[in-house]
Amino acid sequence: MNSNDAIFAQLATLGSSLVLLFGIALLWRRSLVAYVRAFRWQSLALALVFALIGYFGHNRELYIVAVILVVLKVIIIPGYLSRLYERVGGKREAQPYVNVATSLIIAGLLVSLSYSITRPLAPVSKLPTRNGIPLAVGLILVGVFVIISRRKALSQIVGFLVLENGIALLAALGTYGIPLIVELGVFLDALMGFLVMQILVYQIKDTFESIDVEQLSRLRH
Amino acid sequence: MKFLLLLLPPLISALVAYVVRPYRAVVGWLNALLSLLSLGAALAFAGHAARGAEAPVFGPGELLRADGLSALLMVCVAAASTLTLFLSPGVGTETDYAQTQLRRYQLLINLFIFSMLSAVSANNVAIMWVALEATTIFSALLIPLTRDKSSVEASWKYILIGSVGIALAFAGTVLGYFDFVALTGRAENALNWPVLLRNAPAMHPEVMKLAFVFLLVGYGTKAGIAPMHTWKPDAYGEAPPALAALMSSALFAVAMYAILRWKVVADAAIKDHYADNLLLTLGLLSLAIAAFSVAQSRNYKRMLAYSSVEHTGLICFGLGLGAAGVFAALLHLVNHTAAKSLMFVLAGDIERKYGSSAIKQARGLLTVAPWTGGLFAAGLLALVGLPPFGMFISEFALFRAGFAQHHLWVRGLMAAALLLLLVAFVSFITRLNRMLYGEAPAEVVAGETASWRVAPMLFGILALVALGLTLPAPLKNLLDQIVRIVSR
Amino acid sequence: MTGYLLEIGQALLALLLAPGLVGFIRMVKSRLQGRRGAPPWQPYYDLRKLFGKEAVVSRNASWLFRFAPYLIFATTVAVTMLVPLVAAPLPFDAVGDLLMVVYLMLLGTFFLALAGLDPGTAFGGMGASREMTVAAIAEPTIALAIFGLAVGAGSTNLGQIVAQTLSHPGAVINPGHLLGFAALFIVTLAETGRLPVDNPATHLELTMIHEAMTLEYSGRYLALIEWAAGLKLLVFFSLLANLFLPWGVATALTPGGLAVAVIALVAKLAALGLAVALIETRVAKLRLFRVPELLGVSFVLALLSVTSSFLLR
Repeated sequence: MNSNDAIFAQLATLGSSLVLLFGIALLWRRSLVAYVRAFRWQSLALALVFALIGYFGHNRELYIVAVILVVLKVIIIPGYLSRLYERVGGKREAQPYVNVATSLIIAGLLVSLSYSITRPLAPVSKLPTRNGIPLAVGLILVGVFVIISRRKALSQIVGFLVLENGIALLAALGTYGIPLIVELGVFLDALMGFLVMQILVYQIKDTFESIDVEQLSRLRH
Repeated sequence: MKFLLLLLPPLISALVAYVVRPYRAVVGWLNALLSLLSLGAALAFAGHAARGAEAPVFGPGELLRADGLSALLMVCVAAASTLTLFLSPGVGTETDYAQTQLRRYQLLINLFIFSMLSAVSANNVAIMWVALEATTIFSALLIPLTRDKSSVEASWKYILIGSVGIALAFAGTVLGYFDFVALTGRAENALNWPVLLRNAPAMHPEVMKLAFVFLLVGYGTKAGIAPMHTWKPDAYGEAPPALAALMSSALFAVAMYAILRWKVVADAAIKDHYADNLLLTLGLLSLAIAAFSVAQSRNYKRMLAYSSVEHTGLICFGLGLGAAGVFAALLHLVNHTAAKSLMFVLAGDIERKYGSSAIKQARGLLTVAPWTGGLFAAGLLALVGLPPFGMFISEFALFRAGFAQHHLWVRGLMAAALLLLLVAFVSFITRLNRMLYGEAPAEVVAGETASWRVAPMLFGILALVALGLTLPAPLKNLLDQIVRIVSR
Repeated sequence: MTGYLLEIGQALLALLLAPGLVGFIRMVKSRLQGRRGAPPWQPYYDLRKLFGKEAVVSRNASWLFRFAPYLIFATTVAVTMLVPLVAAPLPFDAVGDLLMVVYLMLLGTFFLALAGLDPGTAFGGMGASREMTVAAIAEPTIALAIFGLAVGAGSTNLGQIVAQTLSHPGAVINPGHLLGFAALFIVTLAETGRLPVDNPATHLELTMIHEAMTLEYSGRYLALIEWAAGLKLLVFFSLLANLFLPWGVATALTPGGLAVAVIALVAKLAALGLAVALIETRVAKLRLFRVPELLGVSFVLALLSVTSSFLLR
């Protein structure tokens, strides 16, 4: 592995760690503003990783993907999210189902778990970016954990968005991105999914007068 | 050309529904008639594949491809869609929904049908994924057609769980692509299924194992395999009946299709029974959870949803039992599509009549609406697996394939499955009895919802009986072709 | 022989620099707050004053109360002899490695907490319990954070860790490295009683941790404890500086090399002191129940650092 590759590998791993850390910040902070901000920074870091891989991997398409990422996930979606929580209210996440300290430790364990799950992947790939793959899988697991352990619908949406970022990171690190046409489809789906969730949150607020998902427990047997 | 005939009608229907405001009844009729075109195209594909001919492709980069498996699913989806569209609210009968709701319904349900048909005709597994995500979005928008607390809650749970599942399925797709890239470098058509299958034997088993787990969990969430089934009772219980019918029959089939597509690739790469064992385990789990949940259910729509989970379990079993099992599973899928779509439409009619979906309230069905009650009973008996309905044959074939296996633990699993089916059987029959007989509540008006609606449903029941008495040659040929594709 | 001279010289250097470091941070803080502030050598005058004063001991205090300051001072001086301040490797490396350093510091903290409890005052007990809460999470994090580096170096010997980083400069942007640095930085703030964990300038009941434990001390005892606190700050800063950015540390015992090392050390300490002063001015003190959350973050960072170093070897 020549020195160019070595620098590439280090930078890619560094970028992926940043993306993961912003995801873990979701477990630390409590206010919805902080969640949106963490997601914003995470998407920006992710776009930088994409651009980095595009540069070192000589793949022009990834620049386009990075730009779309910035437009969609740094500008549009956080804008909608901020407007959503202004209208729907509630500045803070109510005490989540798992407290902060325990969540952080669980996050650390999840990342360790992802390292052990992705053991078989490392020798398979010859790409310099393969060291970041456990971090991407760790982010996926952390995203799922955020969804499970949060009480407010908005926090669950942010958790889902973080999960999607993790998968995008996995695609970038493992395969230098998927074909552009598919990437576009994925973005479109992500945007639409988000919009639908937003619509539903408004409906929840209208019918339940709150976005605490504890209230959503009428359906039994 | 046939592809356009398959995919364009739902798009046109959606466009018509969008353009015509306020909603008029003619839109509903038009959409129902257009769906017949899709059904025709699907049947043409099926006939083509049953003869063993080469799979037709269409589009740049072989975007769409219709081999035997796709054709079978196309027929299932198109038939269920036609039935549902003819029996939709706002088509021919008086309805409780407002004009705006009906317009939204027609728009979204046709988009939903379009995405399902695209999913089964897509050659590229990533496009298939995009289409499945689209189905989640459209159905989630449609579930809270009437904005009350229960339906909003159901829709929220559905979209959250469904989206997480779909996202994990995408992670699995990426991991599969990862292996391919590691082997042969990036390629534009790398995610086309035939290309994946061709390169599968050279792929690394460990990576495919991980990818398949993600895919099974992800697409399994859409299909409703336990333990990711928790959204099913809520969503099916609260959705408009026609949507519930489509979701439980067609969407479920499409999700199982996605799992089967990837299973073939995974088996070629892993070369041992890893995928089979996973499916068998999850199948048993689904069956167990469904059986015990039915025993506790108090709402007949949720009861039908648990029946869906039970059949999901059975089909998973079939997929994990080798070639004969796949044959049985696919036959079961066809039967299930017919039966479930009927049942949910009937359940919707019953709910409109009785004003509640609690089993306690819906008593005396046979006296109040004999045809509806009779059809409901027939459908439920079919779902439970009694002869002379088709499910009996497919379940029989399934268990025969299971007991023919060499490993003892598989046979033990099948025996456990039989017991669980018995438990479910008893629960279903007791609830059915409670619903059919007894004093109807005073405020219920006797009489059918609309006499002409009985006709298509009767047709469905007769189809089930026909499938139970004999296996028509074209269907058998088609299934044989599919088994050939799948068990390489 | 030169080795032992070096060790003693290193300890003396640390003793000399520690009050200056504390004074420097105080001065920067006061300038940032718009005050003139005391000059950086004010703590030296304070120490001289304290050593001259009479030590008043409570009637309820036991032998522990009088013994603890000496122990704390001794353990901290011992730590300065094990940490690569100006040179690596050190002759005492064979005796003391990372774990020994952590244990010695914990010993000091433990005895300080006991001494806080000893006179039976309310403030002392409160400070001791708060200190233990912080130390419970912070101490393992120190070990983990440096362990991340140790994995890369193949040994927990601090000198060897420094040598490893010097020979592989590209490893500095390793995520394990950076995560370890971040974790250790947060722990430094916690262990040395800096904002946002503890305010070193306050004696309000609501906010003090370290100060509460030392509230009963006076005279030479207080001088020793204050000096030990300054030494602890210096040790943590030099760990941060020399383990993660080891350039300037002398690998050969030449006068030139040592001179460069001393200058480099002073520069790094000043830089870190500046950073801490900036943080202290910007950040408000965390409410006490939030401190474990912050320390939890540093623990996770350290865990991630170890995992990534371990599995990316």
